[in-house]
Amino acid sequence: MPGVLMPHAGVLMDNSGHPNGVVIEPADRMAAHSQGSAAAPLLQVRDLTIGYRDAVGQLQIAVDAIDFDLQAGHALGIVGESGSGKSTLARALLGHYRGAGQRIRGEVRIRGDLLNERDPESLRRLRGIDVAFVPQNPLSSLTPHLKVGAQLVEILQTRARLTAAQARTRALELMAQTQLPEPERLFERYPHQLSGGQRQRMVIACALACQPGLLVLDEPTTALDKSTEVQVLGLIRQLRDSMGLGLILVTHDLNVVAQMCDDVLVMQAGHCVEQGRTASVFKKPATPYARTLVDSVLHLGVTRASPHEARLETPLLEVRSLGYRYSSGGWLPWRRVSGTAALQGIDLTLFPGEVVGVIGESGSGKTTLGSVLAGLLNPTEGRLRFKGQSLAGEIQRRSQNQRCSIQMIFQDPLSSLNPRQRVGTAIARPAQVFFGRSKQQAWTQAQMLLEELGLNAEYLQRFPRQLSGGQQQRVAIARALAAEPELIICDEFTSALDATVQSQVIERLISIQKRRDLALLVITHDLGVVWRMAQRVIVLKDGLIHEQGRTDEVFARPRSDYTQLLLASATSASRALQSPTTTDSTTPTFLP
Amino acid sequence: MNSHPRLLLRKPLALIGIGLVLAHLIAALTAPLWIPYDPTALVGAALEPPNEEFLFGTDELGRDFLSRVFMGGRVAILVAFSAGVIAAVGGALIGLSAAYHGGAIDDLVCRLVELKLAIPSILFVSLFVTGFGQSLGVLIAVIAIIKMMGAIRTVRAAGLQLMNLGYVRAAQLRGESASSVIVRELLPNVIDLLLVEFALRSSSALLLVSALSFLGLGLSPPTPDWGLMIHAGLAAIHSEPWLILIPAVCISTLVIGVNFATEGIADAWGLDAARGGAHG
Amino acid sequence: MLSVIARRLSLSLATLLALAVFIFAATEIMPGDALDVILSSDEIASIPPERLAQMKRDLGLDRPALERLGSFLLNAVQGDFGRTLISKTPVADIIAYPMRNSLALALLVIAIAFPLAILVGIIGACWHRTPTDHVLATATIVGYSIPEFVIGTLLVLGFAVALPWFSATITVDTRAPVLELLKVSALPVATIVIGSVAYLSRILRVGMIEALSADNIERLRMTGVPPWRVVFRHALPSAVIPCLTAMALYAAALVSGLVVVELVFSIPGLGQELVRGVVRREVHVVQAIALACAVIVVTLNLAADLAVLALDPRARSQ
Repeated sequence: MPGVLMPHAGVLMDNSGHPNGVVIEPADRMAAHSQGSAAAPLLQVRDLTIGYRDAVGQLQIAVDAIDFDLQAGHALGIVGESGSGKSTLARALLGHYRGAGQRIRGEVRIRGDLLNERDPESLRRLRGIDVAFVPQNPLSSLTPHLKVGAQLVEILQTRARLTAAQARTRALELMAQTQLPEPERLFERYPHQLSGGQRQRMVIACALACQPGLLVLDEPTTALDKSTEVQVLGLIRQLRDSMGLGLILVTHDLNVVAQMCDDVLVMQAGHCVEQGRTASVFKKPATPYARTLVDSVLHLGVTRASPHEARLETPLLEVRSLGYRYSSGGWLPWRRVSGTAALQGIDLTLFPGEVVGVIGESGSGKTTLGSVLAGLLNPTEGRLRFKGQSLAGEIQRRSQNQRCSIQMIFQDPLSSLNPRQRVGTAIARPAQVFFGRSKQQAWTQAQMLLEELGLNAEYLQRFPRQLSGGQQQRVAIARALAAEPELIICDEFTSALDATVQSQVIERLISIQKRRDLALLVITHDLGVVWRMAQRVIVLKDGLIHEQGRTDEVFARPRSDYTQLLLASATSASRALQSPTTTDSTTPTFLP
Repeated sequence: MNSHPRLLLRKPLALIGIGLVLAHLIAALTAPLWIPYDPTALVGAALEPPNEEFLFGTDELGRDFLSRVFMGGRVAILVAFSAGVIAAVGGALIGLSAAYHGGAIDDLVCRLVELKLAIPSILFVSLFVTGFGQSLGVLIAVIAIIKMMGAIRTVRAAGLQLMNLGYVRAAQLRGESASSVIVRELLPNVIDLLLVEFALRSSSALLLVSALSFLGLGLSPPTPDWGLMIHAGLAAIHSEPWLILIPAVCISTLVIGVNFATEGIADAWGLDAARGGAHG
Repeated sequence: MLSVIARRLSLSLATLLALAVFIFAATEIMPGDALDVILSSDEIASIPPERLAQMKRDLGLDRPALERLGSFLLNAVQGDFGRTLISKTPVADIIAYPMRNSLALALLVIAIAFPLAILVGIIGACWHRTPTDHVLATATIVGYSIPEFVIGTLLVLGFAVALPWFSATITVDTRAPVLELLKVSALPVATIVIGSVAYLSRILRVGMIEALSADNIERLRMTGVPPWRVVFRHALPSAVIPCLTAMALYAAALVSGLVVVELVFSIPGLGQELVRGVVRREVHVVQAIALACAVIVVTLNLAADLAVLALDPRARSQ
């Protein structure tokens, strides 16, 4: 199995013949100028700059002077956070610009032919034939009211000029090639009847229908759960090898890049910050930004949370057999119990001053757990106890003391602050509500809290939209602290922040936690955050606890398959760099 | 929610709309100060064409048409404005309450709104006018109820979006009462939507009031009203077309003005006004 | 799938029932009763109480409200809407032909306006932000801003007075064959069509613009699928589905508009009967017309729901 770091021969590989003899009509394919020439790149991008005019007419640059080459059979990863311009760049490789975007200057060449300056019709003709696109969200990328088979056949009929019968045969072949189970049966299904992984394979089949030489993938596995991600990435690697495709893989996940790409290009705010061979960039990142990104992925476990000394006290929070079911039909009592279970049989104990991490993917129930513990949702089963006293499910039935003792920080910092209220008002409010303090006292306290969070007094008068994401999150933390809590539930509190800002906010929260002896429940999908902050960890999947225990033990010796899978994904970059030939080893070893 | 006042200047339609509305408002407010004759007084021969003495001619009873036309919008605008305010405010409170409480209350509100929307406006008014009479108060109340339904839907939809946001949840976690959350957290963040709703409901109410007057179910003579004038002018359509044309132009330009302005403002503020529309 | 249809059907019937109850209740909560309509207050004062009580019993006004509601509903289902208060004519006889006429006009309007609205909506969406779209957008705002009775009278001014191509009023007899009525109804139909297309096309345009910016359309464009295929086979159904419910809701407004236009053109339909009924305080007539409209609106809503089921596979498994 060719590893990530082994160079491929840069020869234009021929497409393998088709067993059934169906030949794709090459009429629309761009003439290969350099047949058999080893040196000519499949894709050449020079000084590509893309911008758009905003609502008041000013020019905004989304992509700034990007240069790179891609050889056939190679893979290039384009890495960046949201807002970096990577998606805009990906689409520009097919000559597509979202909204009012346009190419300002630069050129894109596929097999030597210029992509720009083409009229829409000639541009349309090469899409799907010479270069194809795989988008992020397979559910919304397939037309919901047409059967999936019909959508694939449509592409074959309109782009490859096959007859209906030929198209159907070829479609079933493609579905088999992309490892879809029972192609004949799935052919007649609608997109919403397929699983996420099946839909993405279908989209990949549509992209490969006319055998393009270049495939551009925009976050192809971000919307999938981890186990499916592993399978789909494997499929893409296999297809690349068998078809000699050139791959452009756009992602924010460096682990994916490490597994899949020979080269990497790091983008920030439209600029190329660093580019080169994946191994070199990962081992020795030249720029601080690249270093931050790589650190968060590679050095899982640079600094560790100090283990919690066992304190023999009454537990702060006790959760027994907690369950939550969605109600499926209105408010009729007999309808309510038949909904899907978001949480089942959850048992957990939290001690004062302890930091516990809850790890799960989307759909695992972790957000529901946080909402139930906070009092936003009423559990359908189970008991809660706080400091030895019974804790009601609904916030209305909790005592004032319980309400202020348990606080919450949310994922999106901008929407956690009322846009019409000044920062000072937001932070002062809990003190006024919980402790009856006067506005004066509350604002003074707010100022002190802001200073503790590293923001000076002038921020009190500002509105949330005048603050950066990291500052907004710090305000949210200050607001939570204003209630003088004993437990703070942090629901994905770093996920919406830039990489550079994440570690700052995490450090601050850790120091505040130590200083005030706060208990924290850190809910996240990011193992790095848990490793950094939590003394104990709980792994959640489909509403059930798969594993729990001390962080260092769980990470070193995971017992459940699912935990092993999560750890393998999160550490694939480190393992890829250490041993190039074991990219999909099944027994991960955790590297300190 | 971005407010770009500069954006508005780039939209000619919005500016035309605002201009029309201002012109109408000024005319309606200042009319009693400068009209030449009392609109209800018989001052000339009936059905005289426009001449020097009567710039717009006279109507079928011999009243000065110019004076009647410039006074004709006042009552209708008053009714529409009042109904619009009640509809917007009531719609906001009911819509936000439904969004906040969810569950059974929300269901109930939605069903009631759907039910009400299934009844054609003219019919609804007919039902009430048959029993309660045609006074100004009844008219304003009934039109307000009719127009409130659309406002409830729009505000409820916006409210549902807001309920998911962190700051609303934070307020709930503080144990703040329903009214506190609705007034402190939700209401300030739907104000721009509310203004657009008010404009749309008012223009829609104006259309309804004129139609009702035209049918004889709204304002009654001798009140000068454009709808009534068009109804009266129908009989004389072949010989004295201006009796219909002038009030028709008045109603149309006012409503067009409000709708142009609303469309432009909603666009500049990033709100979706197209769904509200004139009916509902 | 069948359970979904059954659920929609029962919901429609429940809505109809609720509307019928509301219509009955609305006329009941009004001050005074039928006797106040027929007799003036002087007459009421002069009639001895026992005779008054007897008259009330004849009119059925002495029974409890629930009982009257029950018989109102039962009779309505059988097509008996009572009699007019003044002349004692069966209400069903009075409104039968006018209802047929109004229904015919309404169906003709829908048949013309809906496809036209979809066309205008598509054009506006596909040529979004171009001068064509701006012109259309402006025209549609003007179209729904001008009251229907104004459009009607302006059309009469233009095409019946200035250019004597059509007649200003409809002189066809109430009971004449429907086709004769429709043949001379070009102007009234045009009036309502203009207002309807202006309003509906805007909803469809918004829906279409949203559908065209969806992920699946972007992917199809980047696969090079021909643009018209993309628009009609992929975008249009997605856009129409949410619009169908809005269009069905518009049915109520359509009926209102019809009433007004019938009066402009003196069409022998429900509109005339309604206004006459209100003016003469004929409660039973107003109730009957209200019920008829309720049936039409609920039926149109049900039709829209069923159409959504036919077009959207996701709705079938709810």
